[in-house]
Amino acid sequence: MIELDHLVKRFGDLVAVNDVTLTVPRGEFFAVLGPNAAGKTTTIKIVTGLMKPTSGRARVAGFDVQAHPLEARQRLAFVPDFPFLYDKLTPLEFLRFTARLFRMPENVVEGPGQELIARFNLGTYLGQTIESLSHGTKQRVAIVSALLHDPEVCVLDEPMVGLDPHHARVLKDVLKERSERGMTVFVSTHQLSVAEEMADRIGIMHEGRLIAVGTREELRRRSGTSGALEQTFLALTAQEANLREERALATTAAGGPRGS
Amino acid sequence: MTATAPSPFRLLLEVNLRQGWRRLLALREQSRLLTGLIVVFLLGYAALAFKLFQVGLRFAGSFPGLGSVLIERMLFLLFAFLFVLLLLSNLVISYSNLFRNRETTFLLPLPVPSEVVFRWKFIESMLLASWAFVFLVAPLLAAYGLNRGVPWHFYPITVLFIALFIALPAAGGAWCAVAVARFLDRRSFQLTALLTGAVVVAVVAFWLRPLQVTDEELETRVLVVLDNLLARTQFAIFPLLPSYWLSAGVQQWAEGALAAAVFFALVLLSHALFFGTLMFTRMGAWFYGAASMVQSRSSLLGRWTWFRAWQVRRARARLERGPAERLFDWLPFVAADTRALIVKDLRLFWRDTTQWAQSLVLFGLLAVYILNLRHFSQQLTNTFWITVVAYLNLGACALNLATLTTRFVYPQFSLEGKRLWIVGLAPLGLPRVLLAKFALGTGISLGLSLGLILLSCRLLDLAWDRTLLYASAITVMAFTLNGLAIGLGALYPNLKEDNPSKIVSGFGGTFCLVLSFVYIVGSVLVLAFASPWNPAAGFRFETYVAWGVFVVLSILLGWLPLRAGLRQALRFEH
Repeated sequence: MIELDHLVKRFGDLVAVNDVTLTVPRGEFFAVLGPNAAGKTTTIKIVTGLMKPTSGRARVAGFDVQAHPLEARQRLAFVPDFPFLYDKLTPLEFLRFTARLFRMPENVVEGPGQELIARFNLGTYLGQTIESLSHGTKQRVAIVSALLHDPEVCVLDEPMVGLDPHHARVLKDVLKERSERGMTVFVSTHQLSVAEEMADRIGIMHEGRLIAVGTREELRRRSGTSGALEQTFLALTAQEANLREERALATTAAGGPRGS
Repeated sequence: MTATAPSPFRLLLEVNLRQGWRRLLALREQSRLLTGLIVVFLLGYAALAFKLFQVGLRFAGSFPGLGSVLIERMLFLLFAFLFVLLLLSNLVISYSNLFRNRETTFLLPLPVPSEVVFRWKFIESMLLASWAFVFLVAPLLAAYGLNRGVPWHFYPITVLFIALFIALPAAGGAWCAVAVARFLDRRSFQLTALLTGAVVVAVVAFWLRPLQVTDEELETRVLVVLDNLLARTQFAIFPLLPSYWLSAGVQQWAEGALAAAVFFALVLLSHALFFGTLMFTRMGAWFYGAASMVQSRSSLLGRWTWFRAWQVRRARARLERGPAERLFDWLPFVAADTRALIVKDLRLFWRDTTQWAQSLVLFGLLAVYILNLRHFSQQLTNTFWITVVAYLNLGACALNLATLTTRFVYPQFSLEGKRLWIVGLAPLGLPRVLLAKFALGTGISLGLSLGLILLSCRLLDLAWDRTLLYASAITVMAFTLNGLAIGLGALYPNLKEDNPSKIVSGFGGTFCLVLSFVYIVGSVLVLAFASPWNPAAGFRFETYVAWGVFVVLSILLGWLPLRAGLRQALRFEH
């Protein structure tokens, strides 16, 4: 599971993540949506340990990411939007390398990993160097390497980028199956259809705040809309923007912000 | 499902060695002619450097009673300067490797302790930063050993000394890189680098200012002059400098004073172990904090209100037209799209601190060179030697020009990288993109080189006709070297790499450097042998022939690669 406890991240004067508290329980598929610069990627960077929070805590599978980084990372998988792969290795060598980093048996790729390799159609590419593969194939290699160690928590940042419709479907199926078996999935995406179709709960971030969390129905009720998730999303972010504007006007009318 | 796995460090080592080996094997797919040329150049450099060092050391050693003292001090001085350069080189490379490297970002969310990530990157940076040092000092130490008639074990022991030594600037550079990342953002680093550079140049210029020695003093009071020289360079034998331990150890071993040499080896070993242990065990957490800070774009200076206010003003200023755009507004004859491209290239260069810092090192060295030139005109009275120094100065300015074109102009096409389609599909077209980059590179490097040659000729007190001739030569060279760099850059693009240092260190970059070097040496030799001055007394037939050869060679070497690059750009498939 993932637990975010009053998470704050400041970049100078800018508050990129503003007091975010959230619990994603074991086996839940959680999608986080939000306009650009809403704080989604910063939150992911904190959860995966790429960045320290200014204050607050992030826990992965019960381990504080900062206090017990290795325990947390051992249970975590991360698929960035543009993953790094060693160009001169073959996918097979790369998968063996990541498996050994996670202390898996050497034959995990040839054994249990075969199912993933087959589902993502990587069999014919296993012997070619990664530099010769297309972007989508590289993305599939990164996804398989992330899932190989059977993580308890999987964090994905725009995972569908570069994937063709067939492999996007395969990824959705694999993630759903894994989440049903207990893996917590945390996906940041701009593709509302992914959230609509897959997510158990959806979080909407806006200007660093988690402005709404709930199932699709709960979010629809809250936004006062009845259509697709797109309408719900636009309504909620617009409401938040209006609310901010009203607060700013009220502060100005009351004599302006107190000087710092 | 866990198993006893090898340590993450070993896994990283295995993977990177496999990558390196495959990169080496990939060379077989490149042209054999080019590979052969580069091998010949490297061996030629080693042989030439060895011969020059051997002759130089013999010459310095031939001063009766003073030779050994002079050689000893020269070695101390050389290693002291190389230590400082290694420190800078390690700082720049460690910063790129630790904080702007995708492998590091890939490794941090994996169950690899940050200590191991730092350890691996530290070793990688040390090797990257130090190979040139080893390549430079190997011929020197071989020549020194042969001149001294040392036993065979001097050479393996020297390798050991150097291996221990390079760990120390590597540790210092890595520590500084982490500190810079932790406390300084790009702008604060630029300010600090500029200020530090200016202070260092001022201190070096003041401290190493040449002594005014009359001919009479040179003949009658040699010991006093030598004493002054030794006193002025005494900083190189400061006993706490690692370069002192290296020089002293190597020299003691050559002299057969094995106990003293072992002492210095142990001093180096103990420091290498101490700082190595700190790097291997204590820097990981600090590095992780710094990596987080780099991504957080925060700065130590951000604590002060004036800095924050300045940042706000800068952010506002960026919404308006910048100085580069305003400057190019004055050139209405340059098409708007070309202007946009040039402004973009200038901005990207200015905002890439790593490139910036490396050019700063180059210009710092040039400033020291320039500051010392005037003393040649004051101390050389023989007109023949003045002519020799003038041509050597032309060679030095041309080599500086070649450094600029190879390091900064050659990677320009490759740096468009995966964004090449943006300019490639614009109505501008790739051939015009290349020509714009050629014009920009030539304009800037010619401006700098002309300034350098005019200033150096002025400091050498050369007459205007001579200055004009050298300025003409450097102008021709600027067009040639830029044409060569842009042309080869388009012929051998590396669109996958964002780091210009790595683009340059590839096959095409090395080929460009080799051709530039051969062209400069050949041109300066041709021009110098047919010089109109000393021993000749004016322009003669040979002078015109030499200039004809020089101009034709320049046109061929500049135009042919540029034309091939333009054709390649025309056929380029995105």
